[in-house]
Amino acid sequence: MNVANTSYPVNRTENVPDHSLVPPCQDACPLHMDIREYVGLVSQGRIMEALQVIRTGNPFPSICAYVCTHPCEDACRRSQVDKPIAIRSLKRFAVEFGGDRMVQAEAETTHAEKVAIVGSGPAGLACAYYLKKFGYPVTVLEAHSELGGMLRVGIPQYRLPREVLDIEVKRLTRMGVEIRTDTRVVSLDLLFELGYKAIFITIGAHQSLRMGIEGEESPGVIDGATFLREVNLGLKPSLGRKVAVVGGGNVAIDAARTAIRLGVKKVSILYRRTRAEMPADPAEIEQALEEGIDIRYLVTPTKVKRENKRLNVTCIKMKLGKPDESGRQRPVPVKGSKFSEQIDTLIAAIGQAPQTPDDFGVRIGKGSTIQVDPNTLTTNRAGVFAGGDAVTGPATVTEALAAGRLAALRIVDYLQHRYPLPVKEAKEKLSGDLLPETIEMIKKIERAEPPSLASEVRARDFEPIELVYSWEQAINEARRCLRCGVGVEILFQDKCATCLTCLRVCPYHVPHLDASGAICIPADQCQACGICVAECPAKAIVLRKPFDRRQVNDELSHAIKSAAELKNKPLIIGFCCQYGLFGTGTLADLWRGAGAGVSIVPVLCVAKVEASHILSAFETGAEGVFIAGCGEQCARENTTYWVQQRVAKVRKVLGSIGLEPERLQVFALGTTTEDPVEELDKFVEQIGSLRLASVIKGEVKS
Amino acid sequence: MIVAEQKPLEDIIRMIVPYERVLILGCGTCMTVCDAGGEREVSFLHNALQLAQARSGEGAHTFSEHTVKRQCDPEFLEALGEKTADVDVILSLGCGIGVQAIAEYLPDMPVLPGVNTSFMGMTKESGVWDERCAACGECRLEDTGGICPITRCTKGILNGPCAGVKNGKCEANKDMDCAWILIYQRLERLQQLDKMRRYYPPRNFRAIPRPRRIMSKAETVTGESNG
Repeated sequence: MNVANTSYPVNRTENVPDHSLVPPCQDACPLHMDIREYVGLVSQGRIMEALQVIRTGNPFPSICAYVCTHPCEDACRRSQVDKPIAIRSLKRFAVEFGGDRMVQAEAETTHAEKVAIVGSGPAGLACAYYLKKFGYPVTVLEAHSELGGMLRVGIPQYRLPREVLDIEVKRLTRMGVEIRTDTRVVSLDLLFELGYKAIFITIGAHQSLRMGIEGEESPGVIDGATFLREVNLGLKPSLGRKVAVVGGGNVAIDAARTAIRLGVKKVSILYRRTRAEMPADPAEIEQALEEGIDIRYLVTPTKVKRENKRLNVTCIKMKLGKPDESGRQRPVPVKGSKFSEQIDTLIAAIGQAPQTPDDFGVRIGKGSTIQVDPNTLTTNRAGVFAGGDAVTGPATVTEALAAGRLAALRIVDYLQHRYPLPVKEAKEKLSGDLLPETIEMIKKIERAEPPSLASEVRARDFEPIELVYSWEQAINEARRCLRCGVGVEILFQDKCATCLTCLRVCPYHVPHLDASGAICIPADQCQACGICVAECPAKAIVLRKPFDRRQVNDELSHAIKSAAELKNKPLIIGFCCQYGLFGTGTLADLWRGAGAGVSIVPVLCVAKVEASHILSAFETGAEGVFIAGCGEQCARENTTYWVQQRVAKVRKVLGSIGLEPERLQVFALGTTTEDPVEELDKFVEQIGSLRLASVIKGEVKS
Repeated sequence: MIVAEQKPLEDIIRMIVPYERVLILGCGTCMTVCDAGGEREVSFLHNALQLAQARSGEGAHTFSEHTVKRQCDPEFLEALGEKTADVDVILSLGCGIGVQAIAEYLPDMPVLPGVNTSFMGMTKESGVWDERCAACGECRLEDTGGICPITRCTKGILNGPCAGVKNGKCEANKDMDCAWILIYQRLERLQQLDKMRRYYPPRNFRAIPRPRRIMSKAETVTGESNG
């Protein structure tokens, strides 16, 4: 026999580049994180690798895992089917189970140009992290006694535990970032004189906006940012028994929930519009309501008067009028609806603005923000960059991190006298909604919310309220991902015989004929199940990602290589789905529990195992082959059916060359009542006896 | 479309015994559509033959594979180029026409048929094909409402239905619709039942001179001056 010389056909897919599209989640993320990739890794139980992907795209994933406002989830197309993937909770799971706290960041200083970062909020810390990684000496200057900016003084501890922030700060220190707290910068010239070659201003937006009503200066009226800062820095302001918070943003909600945790009996939020217009995160609003906070809509205070050590607040009811420039309906006072109320403290949280010292000499624009070039973050002064809330006005942590990263890249360009190259999007974006006929066929799987503390427990103190998924919960949640943009394409139009097989086998009705009679597989509808790839008689269809195209072959040859050392034992090859149940540990159990001589080829859904793969497994000397899928639990449609079709085809071949068809088995381990390990043991035993029989037969013949 | 099915593996193994180096050649047109000899089937057969050889320990074949767009046109066979240089035989997964086209194109190369060419038909559903035309050369579909009694009636009778029809099904196979009942129903829908009343004389079974040839181009007399 001469297998070694066999000339296999040239694999035309080998040098085809990555044709996957940028999914909506990634596009929506200010940091442009590869969300689809890490959610996919979580669904396979590959948590360390998921964390690696997360860390590549995010300097402080643990912080984001707590406080990100997850624009990715808002963009998630799964919401067209049922509910979006719980991306932030999955990230939280990955950083906790992957051990993000233990990750060591190292950096060497390879350049001499010093960079000063004014402000240590998320933008400043991110900029410091990346500049240090690029080898620049960095100094972070912070006016307060502790680092973190809004992360420390703005966000309440129940949303972001301080040890998470401390770990990140420690990591930066270990990387060699110089940190100077209690240092308020008043002049940039001084910094340049001290030898800093570039400065990044990221002083945040800490100055609360005034309500502009009578009596605003009275004792007992405090602004939201100041209140949160005091509490977060360890003070315990006395608030009395009854507190009202004015505003509808996240700061208002944070202030109200902080107040209730300080023991205030009655906390209400006064908001001049309705819940639909409230800019705060809906989940936070929900949690605030659960904690007993009273939100009063269409109400605004008009006058505050201090009487008998209490506040007499006059309010007026509002109604929604015509839309204003922000597109929201403008609230209009209802005549004669004034009413008064006695409270102890009024917290005004109606917005914040940056406060930049005049001596910085940077140009200030609308809303007291620093004016910069949005692509380079340069200000009007040479070598001075700015970013974060100081430039955008109050925004999110993730946006600030993105600004910090951009600043680091641009500062490096500046220091190396390079013209900043425009960031070119290498990949096409996936756009378009799912079609109704596709949505109808997608299995509805409920979104699993991570556990959280009960509302009555959590309102007592500042313990973090959101808990982490269990292993199985996280994996099942991650499996819901539709894998937008990594579907299939007809790579070889010249090979396509327009046989319509893809159109007929697709469970989601995605392929269709265009007016000229050519088959189209729209990328925005494909669910990447891979059935058509295996069924295409012309082999014209491939998965868009090179990794996905090679996966089964690569894993198979790996399994064969590692099994090569086993001798005198029935070699069994099992194609096992790595998603779902197998990711939750069943696969690992199989691995450990399997008798000697069983090699497992992990595949990303058994629907991608082609008849040829099964034959190849036998060809390498396997005495038995099994395919184990998730059965009913598979997140995709019809996968078991197609596996059975291919198995039937291979069994026919086995029969005609004198091998028993029982050597090939299918297990739907997701549904079986039997213990998978036991079932597998039975199969191993059976193969052992078949092999013995064939050896005897062979000897009798000779 | 021409429909075929792959020959049983045992037959193929037997056929290739005398030859060492075998090129498995697929066809990218009809044989791809009917799952008998497209690129996927070529590589599946390749795997199967190698497995058979490894298991039996007999034979010392080396296999290679290739698929051309269409075997029945010699221009596509030109793409084979050097691929035939180091082979002893071509195992064609084209229809009978493809096999002959290769034989004609490569006079010194033995060609083996890897499929049994079966009929002209259509896809009923994914993986199921039905015969629809017998290429009788004398189409009567005008009279039968677009349903061919030659292929779809077991007897191929021209004045049906026969007495063997029962509940609209054929006596030869109770799962099979009687073609003539189908014809009746369709003519009724088209309000052309008068066509049922006509008598169609027996087909002329005189031997059709084979092979048939169709020319769509005008014949010009050689040597004639065109101007």
